[in-house]
Amino acid sequence: MARRRQRGPAFAAALALVLAAAGANACERPQDWTGGSKIAGKTWTVWWQSAPAAIPVGAHFSLRFRLCGPPVRQVKVRGWMPDHRHGMNYRPGVTLAGRSGTAAGLMFHMPGRWQLIFDIAGAAGREKLTAEMVLE
Amino acid sequence: MPEGNWRKGIGGRELAELGAPISHCQMTDIVKLFAVAFCIQIILGALPAGAVDFTAAEQRKILRHGPWPPPAPPDPSNRVSGAPAAAAFGRVLFFDTRLSVSGAISCATCHRPETGWTDGLARSRGQRAVDRNALSLFNLRFNRWFGWDGAQDTLWAQNLRPLLDAREMGIGAAGAARLVRADRSLSCGYRRAFGAAPGADDERVFVDLGKALAAFLETLVTGRTPFDDFRDALARNDAAGQARYPAAAKRGLRLFVGRGNCAFCHFGPAFANGEFADAGVAHFAGSGRADPGRFGGIRKLRKSPYTLLGRFNDDPARTTAVKTRHVRLAHSNFGEFRVPGLRNAALTAPYMHAGSLKTLADVVRHYSTLDEERLHAGGERILRRLDLSAREQADLVAFLESLTEAEPRRDGGIDTEVPPCR
Repeated sequence: MARRRQRGPAFAAALALVLAAAGANACERPQDWTGGSKIAGKTWTVWWQSAPAAIPVGAHFSLRFRLCGPPVRQVKVRGWMPDHRHGMNYRPGVTLAGRSGTAAGLMFHMPGRWQLIFDIAGAAGREKLTAEMVLE
Repeated sequence: MPEGNWRKGIGGRELAELGAPISHCQMTDIVKLFAVAFCIQIILGALPAGAVDFTAAEQRKILRHGPWPPPAPPDPSNRVSGAPAAAAFGRVLFFDTRLSVSGAISCATCHRPETGWTDGLARSRGQRAVDRNALSLFNLRFNRWFGWDGAQDTLWAQNLRPLLDAREMGIGAAGAARLVRADRSLSCGYRRAFGAAPGADDERVFVDLGKALAAFLETLVTGRTPFDDFRDALARNDAAGQARYPAAAKRGLRLFVGRGNCAFCHFGPAFANGEFADAGVAHFAGSGRADPGRFGGIRKLRKSPYTLLGRFNDDPARTTAVKTRHVRLAHSNFGEFRVPGLRNAALTAPYMHAGSLKTLADVVRHYSTLDEERLHAGGERILRRLDLSAREQADLVAFLESLTEAEPRRDGGIDTEVPPCR
């Protein structure tokens, strides 16, 4: 009985993760959005949209994002230039309400290949979702 | 079709090398189609001899350096930004030696109009010697940060720094405010600029002097250059206009946007991305001292009362303060200095934060023979030794010289005339 009691919650948690992951994969564009981009991971999927829509070089921009998947405890957003091995000169401020959030104060200060990275943490673990773009 | 693709289609050879165009129209089969189209281009004068073979990607990069001048909206943090009366008052302040503690130093001591708004010295000298080269004052209104270390986030705050620094002018807030209140002419200028006589709050009057100086300095925008004429000719596909740009400058431009990697930092119409970089020059400031550069600048910024986050910002919405809220301090900032704009650079020698390089040729040679071991880049891979040939170095210099106005203003003037205060 004791073993069963231990297995029950574990099985339920695993099932919840599987269902959440399935939900993440089926993640649709938020109904109130026009445009935006999707990054699908194993645990979470994120829809994100920048303002302005075309990310500029050398000017600040902001993001809104919506996550699908299990509950989220924290989201960090950062930029990275893999060819140059440096990130941004600014630390974005992220606000998170449930599975929706915003990030302000981002800047890609050089032309070239950039990665936009969402670093997501929750009870289900941690996952990095990366979008890659080339700015001219 | 972009010009570069045309030229690739015929093997990338210069038109001048092809000889008489009619003979090249006498080709066969597949080549004939290209050749006929090419001859039409020649007849129409769209691709004259001397045009340089920029690829479509290169053309896109070149076009990002214009048009010039860009839009220049007023600074919302400065309520007199763009106001002619404030600019006129700022000009008076700029040349007034009474704003120094000794009565002998003005802003113009280190920023002389006739030498590109700098002083020609490696390290400048106010009341005493300082550690850094006097930056030129061209195009300041397009900056994001101010000073070699970016310790100020507005032009008006930057103007306060030398008034407070005992090595430069050192008059201080109270001394400057007293002077303006006591002097009839300065008091009149203040009243015209700000709509009221200088008040009893020394610091408020002091900050307003910085704002009037900023209104003046905003007017120092460089004019159009040979590069701008070329860039705009490229934008409108005007081959004759492109042909007027010297071949050496074109070759230098190709290096600049290509193998030289210069445009990573010297980006956009002002040829500066507004940020900071370790350029591989020594940052010793004297016996046993290192100049921390941007690292020190961010720390000063965070302690300063004169920032966009403080009470002297005239914009209640703080619309331009996002940079100040989010700027990040990192160890890699140590030894980083401003990426300067390159317009009129030929007028502003010597170069780098401590004036260690005397000429543009020295600057190009520095990057060509860069000692990568001297970089404190923490793993960054931006700068690389370029190993340019002598001709390539000369080409890059020719390009940099083409960023200089043919007839730069040296009078320190502004166009709007305001009757003098008596």
